[in-house]
Amino acid sequence: MNAEFQLKLQAYFDGELSAREAREIESILAAHADARALLAELRRTTEVLISHEAEVKLPESREFYWSKIQREIQRQEAGSHSASMPRPSWSRFLMPSGAIVALVLAGWFGAFEMGWLSRGGRSPQIETYLADSGAMTYRDEIERTTVVWLSYPAENEFAHADPADTIR
Amino acid sequence: MTERPAPAPDDQAFVRAAQRGDMVAYEELVARHRDKIYARAYSMMRNEDDAVDLSQEAWVKGWQRLKQFQGESSFATWMTRIVINLCLDQLRRQKRYRAESIEMLDEESGGVERQMPVVTVNPTERLERTELRQRIDQALDQLSETHRMVLVLCEFEELEYKEIAKAMKCSIGTVMSRLFYARRKLAALLADLKKPE
Amino acid sequence: MNTSRFPVIYWTWLAFGFFLVTCVGGQVQAGEIKLEAQLIWGTNDEKSPDPKHKSVESKVAKKLKKLPFKWQHYFEVNRQQFSVSQGESKKIVLSKDCEIKVRNAGNQSVELTIFGKGECIGKISQALPKDELLVTGGNAANFTSWFVVLRQPD
Repeated sequence: MNAEFQLKLQAYFDGELSAREAREIESILAAHADARALLAELRRTTEVLISHEAEVKLPESREFYWSKIQREIQRQEAGSHSASMPRPSWSRFLMPSGAIVALVLAGWFGAFEMGWLSRGGRSPQIETYLADSGAMTYRDEIERTTVVWLSYPAENEFAHADPADTIR
Repeated sequence: MTERPAPAPDDQAFVRAAQRGDMVAYEELVARHRDKIYARAYSMMRNEDDAVDLSQEAWVKGWQRLKQFQGESSFATWMTRIVINLCLDQLRRQKRYRAESIEMLDEESGGVERQMPVVTVNPTERLERTELRQRIDQALDQLSETHRMVLVLCEFEELEYKEIAKAMKCSIGTVMSRLFYARRKLAALLADLKKPE
Repeated sequence: MNTSRFPVIYWTWLAFGFFLVTCVGGQVQAGEIKLEAQLIWGTNDEKSPDPKHKSVESKVAKKLKKLPFKWQHYFEVNRQQFSVSQGESKKIVLSKDCEIKVRNAGNQSVELTIFGKGECIGKISQALPKDELLVTGGNAANFTSWFVVLRQPD
């Protein structure tokens, strides 16, 4: 059983396949004992997990737990309604002082950044742009290889796989 | 698709009152469902303090969004979704673009074929329920956050693959790989459960 | 902000900070960087259905096989060498569905932007001295995969 079939079997177990695909899996199950065994394992694991979920109780009294929630609700509601307080006279120095500090820090960081960038192996900075996408990095120091694996939502690969749809 | 559940009559009355601004009614809802919401947060975060904080945050958010609750699901389910999203956001913040282990990259990218032999998970009624729950809890602790998350969303919340993919911001294929890995690892961890003599 | 009342000391600090940023900023390394980008297809099929695909060169193949991916075979779809001047970007078309844009960020660092089917998928900023390999990848149809491998060629 290859990994692709195993995932398809799991999808069958989870009711994620179309009727046609489910029938294909059922015919394979009828003919292969190892497939049936894997399905039985998935089924049994789920049954055990669901029927024996640990009973967890909140470790705080009702009153104490609620008092914190209530306080936060009231704080947020008060914050959105309160008028702005007049700013103290020394606050006019905040912005220019902050800008100066930011410039100095930027200068120092720039110095460090320049020194570091020439080294390989520093973690990459990644931005992803598709909705619901993500990235995972892996670094092999010996091979001096950095891998960035991009994951992004795709159509259900079982339902819509096109055999001709390879990278061209 | 599951049928639309009828809200418990009592919940419905309290929800309506809370939607009109009755905080006493909302406190009653919190009292009724606090353990369940906390338990879901705990199952994802595996940390009491985080679970308490996030469950409280969920209740605050629930109050703010109460007018949006139209009864499409039970109130408890609606609150559970809120706490799950908060937990996912928190976990995402904690592991943002961190270099992952080989195992995670391996499994994320499609995985090498799992040669794990099929195991029979065979806890029986004779095993003390408490002990069994503890064993399962310990086994869940041994999964990574991501694998535990996908298991919780699929097995306990009964979300479809595409809903899990949306919640976890990954592809359906990734959901399937993670779920398969989590289930097989759990089976292996529970395989040695035996009947007492 | 009333500058006539703004203490001199603040202007002094402002000037100092500006001086520091300028000095450091001025120390960027000039020069262009020569790069090679490969578009690679990962699969478990022994042969690619596209006769134009070639086997990946052994040095890169060896590194890919050491990574924890499931695919047994890697095929080179396209390979291009190009140079990018300091601070400049270059767009490279690797296939009808895959383009990359590479910016020379200076000091042997690059910013790689990947476009799939015309959409920007991701941007990766990474130091890339010689002998370093940057491998970006994702799932493709039928449980195969695509990779873009970027490096400074030998």
